[in-house]
Amino acid sequence: MPIIELKNITHAYGAKKVLEDVSLNIDPGKLTCLLGGSGSGKTTILRLIAGLEIPEKGKIYIENKPVTDDSKILIPSHERNLGFIFQDLALWPHFTVFENIAFGLKERRSQHIEQRVSEILSFFDLKDFDEKYPHQISGGQQQLVAISRALVLEPKILLMDEPLSGLDVKLKRKILEHIKDLKKSFDVTLVYVTHDHREAFAIADQIIVLNEGKVVEAASAKEIKQSENEYIKYFLEY
Amino acid sequence: MGGKLIKYPIYVTVLLLFVLFIIIPVFYTLLFFEGDWVENLKLLDQRILYLLVKSILIAFSIASFATFFGTILGFLLYRTNLRFRNFYRIALMIPLFISPYILAVAWKDLFFLFTGNSDRISSETGVILVLGIIFTPLSMLITGNAFNNINTHLEEAGLMITDLRSLIFKIILPLIKPALFTSFVLIFIFSISEFSVPSYFGVRLFTTEMFTQFSAFYNHSLAVLQSALLIFICVVLLYADRKYLADAPFLSYGGKGKKVKIFSLKKFKISDELFVFFWFFISVLLPFSVLIIQSFKGGISKFIQAFELLKPTFFSSIWLAFLGAAISVFIGFTAAYISEVRRIKTFDWFLLFVFAIPSTIFGISLIKFYNHPYLDFIYSGFVIVIIGYIGKFSFIAAKLIGNAIKQIPQSLEEAAQIEGIGFYRRIQKIVFPLVLPAVFTAFIINFTFSIGELGTTIMVYPPGSEIMPVKVFTIMANAPQSLVSAMTLIVLGVTLLLITIMYLMVKPMLKNYSDANY
Repeated sequence: MPIIELKNITHAYGAKKVLEDVSLNIDPGKLTCLLGGSGSGKTTILRLIAGLEIPEKGKIYIENKPVTDDSKILIPSHERNLGFIFQDLALWPHFTVFENIAFGLKERRSQHIEQRVSEILSFFDLKDFDEKYPHQISGGQQQLVAISRALVLEPKILLMDEPLSGLDVKLKRKILEHIKDLKKSFDVTLVYVTHDHREAFAIADQIIVLNEGKVVEAASAKEIKQSENEYIKYFLEY
Repeated sequence: MGGKLIKYPIYVTVLLLFVLFIIIPVFYTLLFFEGDWVENLKLLDQRILYLLVKSILIAFSIASFATFFGTILGFLLYRTNLRFRNFYRIALMIPLFISPYILAVAWKDLFFLFTGNSDRISSETGVILVLGIIFTPLSMLITGNAFNNINTHLEEAGLMITDLRSLIFKIILPLIKPALFTSFVLIFIFSISEFSVPSYFGVRLFTTEMFTQFSAFYNHSLAVLQSALLIFICVVLLYADRKYLADAPFLSYGGKGKKVKIFSLKKFKISDELFVFFWFFISVLLPFSVLIIQSFKGGISKFIQAFELLKPTFFSSIWLAFLGAAISVFIGFTAAYISEVRRIKTFDWFLLFVFAIPSTIFGISLIKFYNHPYLDFIYSGFVIVIIGYIGKFSFIAAKLIGNAIKQIPQSLEEAAQIEGIGFYRRIQKIVFPLVLPAVFTAFIINFTFSIGELGTTIMVYPPGSEIMPVKVFTIMANAPQSLVSAMTLIVLGVTLLLITIMYLMVKPMLKNYSDANY
């Protein structure tokens, strides 16, 4: 049974239609990549799943529960039990690394905040940077802080919107290894948006290829590589 | 939009209160004034139309003068390697932040000191010169910001095929045309609305005529009719430039690490530096030095007398300006957040409308509306003065804060939303701390403008109360020049002292935030 299900989703920004009758499933415990060029609608799908956008039409189910029904929000973002890594990481610049990670826990009045933050900092090797502000650490460390901030709240699903777009190849490779491990270490389903097919092939269990607001094909990484679809063949050439 | 608004009860409440206390009085005065419109139109005789044309011509000259020199200064100080440009950028702004009548007094002193009489400056040319000097920094700010926002690549592409001179005239100036137009429109509106300088120089213009009709002859119908004409002119100009003015990108605090190309002045460096120093000399050094000399000309006794006269005004002026600025900043923040994040612009238009209405007309509107027995608690107290400050300056606060909010990526708030942080908590913990420097800047600017505000205050101040600029202005006509100079100098000193104290108090906080970038 899929953990996320989109049924006949249509969405537009003003007069511009970005998704048209999109249906797709995301399996639990897997790393699914939404792959496509700019304007294909991949980020919009992620934002709709997160509840940051409201679809014009269609239904979204998370863990079998409807979260949106046409333009109605049935379950708000913070009750969907998911984490979100933004393309620009969205680290709060006036909070230290520790405060960035602890903020959600504090607001939810969680127990053992220090211990939980400390554990996740150790896991990502960030212990020495807890007092630093985001602008005082490197790009790679910022990525890990953003991931830590999302994971410390123990989400079932982690949504990632092109989080590595600003990094060099070496660092990208290192962080991709971390991301691959997240499924096991944190028992989380990952949805990863990218326009880079190499990135998708390196980490994905399942790839959903999008073009101009429509799903072109959804299959395993291996099957996508061998696809006979014209658009996919063209897209993979570059 | 109604459905969207209902989600923000604080915004709706603030908007309704603003409309109720500030917008309705203006429309009430224009739509329901005594007498018949057609009958009253006959009052607009040739003399009044002559004054209107004269006022338009003078405002046109001031706007052209200030935009011309402001653009030159804007380019030199924002885009070239001129020495001490950071110092000049702040120092040249001083005339804009003090009441216009202070500079008028200083210039009259200057002419008196060097020629033995002040007749030459007490003329239309004097009004153009003094107001031109006062508003040049506004143009410098607007065009300087526009120069900074030009895409560097466009300039570099131009430099590949032509020299700097051609680049400026063929590429850069056409690119900043909207800013040039805004500079002209804003300065025109401010000039045609200005009351204290022509009044002090004894030059009869439309605003002084309105003031006389309203306050001396109690001819309210004519005063309101004249107001309607002036509002019409201002609104037409406002409408012509609504898009750029509504965004007001020049009203922003700092810049987030934007890189601009700095041009080398090469062989023109010395002449340009001399020009900028000359401007600093005539707009800041000279008038204020003369003000000091004149103040002490009659010995220390005149200074003590001036201090004694002003002493009762300090407390009321400071707390009124403080309260006005605090409320304006609150309104500004509320309007700015909804405007920038939720893209609902209703409040922006109201703020801009009142901002552009001449101060004296706004004052007349407040008096006409609140001078009713059941609104006496507002009319006869200080509340009406605070309403005046809020109406006039909330736009500035909204734009300063709005342009800061615009720089915060939406994802910072969305990240908190996903973590389950509620709306008001997000504002308190994420948005507000990030725009704190802009909030403080807005507060200090609104405080400075409020403490020096004369056009509206002189119309609405409660009888028997003591407010600093009103006290100086009412004494001007009959007091010796040295006493007026001493009083003006004290007002200037108090304003600068308060700004310095506030700046020193918030400086450490501003420093902390300027280190963070996003």
